[in-house]
Amino acid sequence: MLSRVADSLYWMGRYIERADNITRLLLVTEDFSTETQGLAENLAQSAWKDLLAVFPSAQMTRAVAPLAPLAVPYLHAFFLDAGNPYSIHFSMRKARENARSVREALTLEVFLAINEAYRALETYEQRGMPDLPAFRDALTAMQKGIFTVLGAIEQTFTRDEGRLFVRLGEALERLSRTTLVLRAKLPGLLAAEPRTDLPLYYTQWRTLLRSLSSLENYRKVYGARLEPNLVIAFLLFDSNSPRSLRYGAAALKECLEAISGPGGLTPPARLVGRLHADLCYDDEELMRRADFAGFLDHVAAELGKTHDALATQYFVT
Amino acid sequence: MKWMPETKAFDEAFDRDGPRQHYRPLVSILESFTRGEIERRERLQKLSLMDQGITFTVYGEREGTERIFPFDFVPRVIPAREWERLQAGLLQRVTVLNLFILDVYGAQKCLKDGVLPPELVLSRKEYKRELLGVIPPQRIYTHVVGTDIIRNGRGEYLVLEDNCRCPSGVSYVLENRNVLNRVFPELFTAYPVQPIRDYPNLLRDTLLHAASRGSERPVVVILTPGMANSAYFEHSFLAREMGVFLVEGRDLIVEDNHVFMRTTGGKQKVDVIYRRVDDDFLDPLTFRRDSLLGVPGLMNVYREGNVGLANAPGAGIADDKAVYTFMPELIKYYLGEAPLLPQVPTYLGFRPKDLAYIRDHARELVIKTTGDSGGYGMLMGPFASKKEIEEYVGRMRKNPANYVAQPLVELSAHPTYVDGRFEPRRIDLRPFILYGETIRVLPGGLTRVALRPGSYVVNSSQGGGSKDTWVLAPKHA
Repeated sequence: MLSRVADSLYWMGRYIERADNITRLLLVTEDFSTETQGLAENLAQSAWKDLLAVFPSAQMTRAVAPLAPLAVPYLHAFFLDAGNPYSIHFSMRKARENARSVREALTLEVFLAINEAYRALETYEQRGMPDLPAFRDALTAMQKGIFTVLGAIEQTFTRDEGRLFVRLGEALERLSRTTLVLRAKLPGLLAAEPRTDLPLYYTQWRTLLRSLSSLENYRKVYGARLEPNLVIAFLLFDSNSPRSLRYGAAALKECLEAISGPGGLTPPARLVGRLHADLCYDDEELMRRADFAGFLDHVAAELGKTHDALATQYFVT
Repeated sequence: MKWMPETKAFDEAFDRDGPRQHYRPLVSILESFTRGEIERRERLQKLSLMDQGITFTVYGEREGTERIFPFDFVPRVIPAREWERLQAGLLQRVTVLNLFILDVYGAQKCLKDGVLPPELVLSRKEYKRELLGVIPPQRIYTHVVGTDIIRNGRGEYLVLEDNCRCPSGVSYVLENRNVLNRVFPELFTAYPVQPIRDYPNLLRDTLLHAASRGSERPVVVILTPGMANSAYFEHSFLAREMGVFLVEGRDLIVEDNHVFMRTTGGKQKVDVIYRRVDDDFLDPLTFRRDSLLGVPGLMNVYREGNVGLANAPGAGIADDKAVYTFMPELIKYYLGEAPLLPQVPTYLGFRPKDLAYIRDHARELVIKTTGDSGGYGMLMGPFASKKEIEEYVGRMRKNPANYVAQPLVELSAHPTYVDGRFEPRRIDLRPFILYGETIRVLPGGLTRVALRPGSYVVNSSQGGGSKDTWVLAPKHA
């Protein structure tokens, strides 16, 4: 397929996945901050601030009324602010632009779903968000809109190279974002003293799992007991949970192999293969060493290199 | 529901005694709806257009503003016999347009025989002297033609202009039919409407036929200027409907005198380019050097016969408005036939006698520049202020050969739904003609409608909308 089209499909996949991640993180963080604000305001605040680490070049530009709830500036910035490169609005606009530039490579259903989700955003922007429940309502609708897009891709997209590039973008975005969420949250959580306030401590671990839509998946494997080491091992190494790092690396590897077909390994496939091997065979050692920040930084750096290698291999025209 | 018949011009749907015969069922079905019902359907229709992104891009406003092309649900109905006459006239015309182009880039017999003045043709911007002697595969220049047709006060069909470059609008023809089908299915029950869905297949066949000799399974692509182009929706629509690649200039490269596209698997050869990019932008090495939309070296490949271009470069000479004036003579010259479709009488700025007439009668005339289309560069004398006329005529005097003028034709009017009533609005028609192994005309075409009351301007950029156009199937004997 055309390199330009592959590039656009890859970015379409990335932006849809990114919008999905932002939506979920906003919903989960809003929940957490509402729950803990009265109890431990600093925790609620840092939960919001962590978003700036998960989306490193995000911008909070909008001025907010002094008495507005803690969550409001963040919700504005990450939901509707078209000027913030990590807002849902920005991501969906980019997803749509990319989709529109390769409409002929998509099915009608996929384009329709993306277009509708984006237009819903424009409506929210015009109407304004008077209070937190309005935000929550709109974000929930947004999430459904994104699921519709993903469903349309799953149900109607022909299983060709184009589909693989969409999945590639999705997989790389998901893996990167999961890595950054873990990187932002784990050091603080591990440093916290559990005995002082047990319920709050577990709320934070539970929130981490929910941020990566993994709470139920975790419970299926380990039951309701939240053991920090088990949670970490689950999010890093579980081979069935779609947002664990190992699963993500496997998905990425599979996509790259399907795109290049049998034959020599491409540079991005080598990078991802090594990463996947670390996550498959080095799990015990990594857990024992417990230098999670160092490892996650390494993963993030490798993913950055992978993106560059992909561009050189497939997109540069 | 109230119907307001047209008083000044030809009314497509009504004569003095009421609805014309072929409009009677339509009028009675529409009358059975309440206003509330019609408005509910209209909302559905607008939503459907917006959700599907059936839009065009407006230039000059905030960058890349997309608008829906307003659609009026009252269809235009063309009886079978009327259409047969129109179709025959279009076939004749397109045949001659192609013969004319072949001639002026070949032996130039028509110029030598004095059918039209050589300097009139050879001095046009659209005449590409670089292409003299370059004959396209299958000797076809005009693969896709859109000829604009209007009806005068007596209801006669007249040719207003031919578009031999990249006529657009066919995607709206197809989408209008889809939308009307969905939103007002009842309307179709009373009429044998000729189907049009097959157009993408026909277009594809036409393009495959434009391949140069010896391409086994020709690869066809559509070349678009990109997303910012006003007709981008159409380019992408046609690519999807035909199952071909939509490429931009930067996707193509020329190597070893062949055109390739850059793909994830390396380079792939391209055999036919349905280019929706103007001649001037096709190849910066041959035409405009500053073009970023084209492909350097493309014209060399074309000259070698290694790629088919549709429409062929240089075809624009045939839709020049000064050349148009000579179409009746050209039809006689090439085919020995009388023109089947009349056209609008035209005064040529090129002829001193005509020029004097244009100058003195500017207030009654529509004056146009010869190379422009889409309603640009035009003066509508009867609606212009004195100052506007003086300025325009002043510009014309500097380069009179670039101007033509025509009397204002009272375009026919068609009932159009406006705020709970059916009011007459001016319309035209752009049928699409495909020139492949044979010449075929898509039944109907794009009916554009001037939505502003009293307006004659149907262009989408200037307040125009469109309608579904029904050609009725001939009655079975």
